Amino acid sequence: MPKTITQEFTKGLWEELPPFRLVLGLCPVLGVTTTMENGIGMGLATTFVLLGSNFFVSIFRNIIPAKVRIACFIIIIASFVIVVELLMQAYAYKLFLKLGVFIPLIVVNCIVLGRAEAFASKNKIPHSVADALGIGIGFTLSLGALGALREILGKGTVTVWETWMFNLSSIFPSFQPFDFMVQAPGAFVALGLMLCVLNVIGD
Amino acid sequence: MGYFELIIACIFVNNILLAQFLGNCPFLGTSKKMETAMGMSMAVIFVMVLAGAITWIVYTYILVRYDLVYLRTIAFIVVIASLVQFVEMFLKKSIPALYAGLGIFLPLITTNCAVMGACVLNVDKEYTFVQALVASFAYAVGFGLALVLFAGVRERILLARVPKPLQDTSIGLVTAGIIALAFYTFKGMV
Amino acid sequence: MIEALLFMLSIGVVCGAVLSIASKVFYVYEDPRISEIEGLTAAANCGGCGYTGCGAAAAAVVEGEAAPSVCVVAGTEAAIGIAAVMGLDPGTAEPLKSINECLGGNRADDKFTYMGIPSCRGMDALYGGKRVCSVGCIGFGDCVKACKFDAICIASNGYPEIDESKCVGCGACETACPKNIIQVKTMSERLLHFNQEDDALAPCRQTCPAEIDIPQYIRQIKNHDYAGAVNTIRERNPFLLSCGRVCPHPCEDVCRRGVEDEAVSINQLKRFAADYEMNSGQHLPISCAPDTGKRVAVIGGGPAGLSCAYFLRRLGHSVMLFDMMPRLGGMIRYGIPEYRLPKKVLEWEIDGILNLGIETRTNVKLGEDFDLSSLVAAGYDAIFLGIGAWKDYSLRIDGENLDGCYTGIDFLTTFATTQQGDGNKHIPIGCKCVVIGGGNTAIDCVRTLVRLGAEEVTIVYRRTRKEMPANRVEIEAAEHEGVKFHFLAAPNRVMGDENGKATGLEYLKMELGEPDDSGRRRPVPIEGSETVLDIDMLITAIGQGPDIAFKEKEEGRRFADLQTTRWDTIDSADPETLQTNIPYIFTCGDAATGASLVVEGIGGGRRAARSIHLYLTGQPVKPVPNSIFERNIPGTIFDSVEGIHQKPRARMPEMPVAERIKTFEEADLVLQEKDALKESERCLDCCRICYNKDAA
Repeated sequence: MPKTITQEFTKGLWEELPPFRLVLGLCPVLGVTTTMENGIGMGLATTFVLLGSNFFVSIFRNIIPAKVRIACFIIIIASFVIVVELLMQAYAYKLFLKLGVFIPLIVVNCIVLGRAEAFASKNKIPHSVADALGIGIGFTLSLGALGALREILGKGTVTVWETWMFNLSSIFPSFQPFDFMVQAPGAFVALGLMLCVLNVIGD
Repeated sequence: MGYFELIIACIFVNNILLAQFLGNCPFLGTSKKMETAMGMSMAVIFVMVLAGAITWIVYTYILVRYDLVYLRTIAFIVVIASLVQFVEMFLKKSIPALYAGLGIFLPLITTNCAVMGACVLNVDKEYTFVQALVASFAYAVGFGLALVLFAGVRERILLARVPKPLQDTSIGLVTAGIIALAFYTFKGMV
Repeated sequence: MIEALLFMLSIGVVCGAVLSIASKVFYVYEDPRISEIEGLTAAANCGGCGYTGCGAAAAAVVEGEAAPSVCVVAGTEAAIGIAAVMGLDPGTAEPLKSINECLGGNRADDKFTYMGIPSCRGMDALYGGKRVCSVGCIGFGDCVKACKFDAICIASNGYPEIDESKCVGCGACETACPKNIIQVKTMSERLLHFNQEDDALAPCRQTCPAEIDIPQYIRQIKNHDYAGAVNTIRERNPFLLSCGRVCPHPCEDVCRRGVEDEAVSINQLKRFAADYEMNSGQHLPISCAPDTGKRVAVIGGGPAGLSCAYFLRRLGHSVMLFDMMPRLGGMIRYGIPEYRLPKKVLEWEIDGILNLGIETRTNVKLGEDFDLSSLVAAGYDAIFLGIGAWKDYSLRIDGENLDGCYTGIDFLTTFATTQQGDGNKHIPIGCKCVVIGGGNTAIDCVRTLVRLGAEEVTIVYRRTRKEMPANRVEIEAAEHEGVKFHFLAAPNRVMGDENGKATGLEYLKMELGEPDDSGRRRPVPIEGSETVLDIDMLITAIGQGPDIAFKEKEEGRRFADLQTTRWDTIDSADPETLQTNIPYIFTCGDAATGASLVVEGIGGGRRAARSIHLYLTGQPVKPVPNSIFERNIPGTIFDSVEGIHQKPRARMPEMPVAERIKTFEEADLVLQEKDALKESERCLDCCRICYNKDAA
């Protein structure tokens, strides 16, 4: 049964929500979510690449020979990664520095390649775009949520674009931030527990 | 920084899996069995050293020289992908025994962000060629160490009673967190 | 900008050139399906499946180690595509379907109330299973977790239930199950499976000579799935209408309910399902495996031959059936009278079997119209001899060839042929008819005579009623229809008048002595007790054996080597393989065992079909390992069964005696639907050692 464009979009927000339903692309999820801002920034960058790659893969899906398709997809994705890199260096240099090695690594993010191969190479352009948007936004929200959780537990604050800051200790003065959460081990544990919570909700 | 410190730093302190969060997909994928984990570790060591060397050469002698540094990502991925495929074909034909042990892990490494990440880190940190080689090797050993440790724990988890929502990947991540906590204690050593 | 383009171009050219040269230099053959399957995976090499990349996963699928659903990224569509690629393999051209062998009652009670690992595998590793039964389902649903197609669920009875429409036969469930309860098999494998000691089998299923999955079809009837019940029976027995009418149902003797209560009326339920199909007017579709190109000649169109032909055809072999009579059916057409098995019912059943694409030649007799040499010359790859037991034993007494004396098979066959309009030989029916013998043939003769208007019909048997080998119900029916019985009487001679016509039968009275080999007490004649019975018609039905005259008549003498026993039956060295001393000749049924039950012939037909299939596919013809042929699994037949509340068995509707003795219309009628449903509720849904206790 062919799905409507709306369905293709919304499935990324819940049914196939990465990285929880589709347990892929974990490296940036773990690596950058020390703050909400980083998470959302990373998410948006990935969304941009996903959108571009899905769009172009879908356009060229009938031209690309099957044997070299993976190589072609990688080139398309890599080109968009470079575009993102350059754009971020120009307009969001601070964020670019924070995200560091993870921006070039979008190129090997399984979600991007996976969507290109499993979806965009078989579907029409509007559907592919809707799919990319859905998955991308879902990914961004997940990263944002995980970032926010880790930031608020680990530092006690949530900062948005350095202008607005929410401080947990203004509500609970006795709250002591636990550093563990923003450190490496905390990333694994937080993601694991979030996955668990989503499993509970999902059932 | 001496080579010894570099090795310690790359294996333990900045463990590529547990501190840098690179290569997590195969980390969770191939850690279900000890046997697979061992094979994967060996293959990663092999490829990472080769890729580290070649990308360093490409970067230093081509990209920097002709002022094309912004093409780094695309150049690296193409070089790594071709290299892996070449090595795979070479091993399959010439050294089937080695291929049986390592070769089957090679495709997985193409999209392993640990390899790509290690290469990017090498040039970011402006290592010399030898340093890049040593660092690549040490990163790969760190990857293998973490993977094998994790696979060992995961085989035991199979027999434990895990609450339903936590089963599979979820408990895997929490376990990885605890192993990461162990590695975290190396911080400040170098 | 130009440098960038140049750089990209050159790097592309270099890499491309190196790789294409390398792919030629380092070329190694690999299964083309691997790359085809790899193309269907997401090719993201993410490792999420646990394999080291998509190529490795594809190779694992081709080797049968991984399921088609291996790719976690690509989703169901790709899985179906991969399954399709694997399906093209000629070795697995038939669709694989998973089946749950362990189904049924409440099972063995839970042995442990262990709150540990909720996994069958873990439980099996630690405690050898939660249930008492050594083979039974553990019930934690590892198979459900293993299935990527959502085709298995744990049903309300606590056992896995498979949705066949969703199952792609990937085998993940089979691998996951530590108990071999879930099995993935092709239809052929299922047809060729014979009961083994470690199967999950209810007592009735162990005992049925055709090995029908009885609990399964009763369960299907209970769930109103009558078509499903028909298919279940047909997996083992193509003669469900006939068996539903004439089978003496050995299964009911071991029915667990029968230990404390009346046994479940298994055979009537079979007949109910069979009649349901017939009354619907449409044959349910029967699937056959792809053609193998092998040809088998089946000689004898009786239950054994037709059953063998049916299974061979379903296994994909082409079959030619030869029969000496004008119509097919053998003894069940010519030996069993109309009132027990109406000819139109039989016709419908045989039509259904022949519809599979079995060719037939009737009115041809082995040894006269064709022989082994002609079959070999015609290029048949194997031959099945199902010639039945059509030769009556003679009494060897004086006067048994007088006018008015007939033999049982001869009488029944001649009458049936005439009744069907294929002949015009009328047998004059006498007023005082005597039938000698105590078997089913004798009973069929007397009941036929009653219907033909004989005034007085008597059975003369040399032992007592208790020793009569005929079916109990048949004896009772004959008694109801007014047949007289002379027990403990041994015919001595037949007396005739001057015209050579039989007028009297002299017999000796007997008494029972010591038990003989068969366990029955041997009758011993009483000296000087000769008595004469007035008769004008005599039928001897004291037993029958195969007619092996073809061995002598054949010109090429190829059959001369065929070993036969001293009872003239064809010798199959092993009753489980049914292969004769000539490797390409197989046999079963009455021809191999002497006169026996229809259902024995049918079960044997399947057994022979298995051996022929093994022979034709170049595998050694060996008996089934751990077979429980003609025995039960130790410890599965109970002396007492707890928790049974007595519930009366459904009564078979019968035509009133006064009406039925005047007509050849069917005397026994089929159960009403509501009675059949009620009867199906009586089934305890047993497996090897467990059963559902009646709710109080």
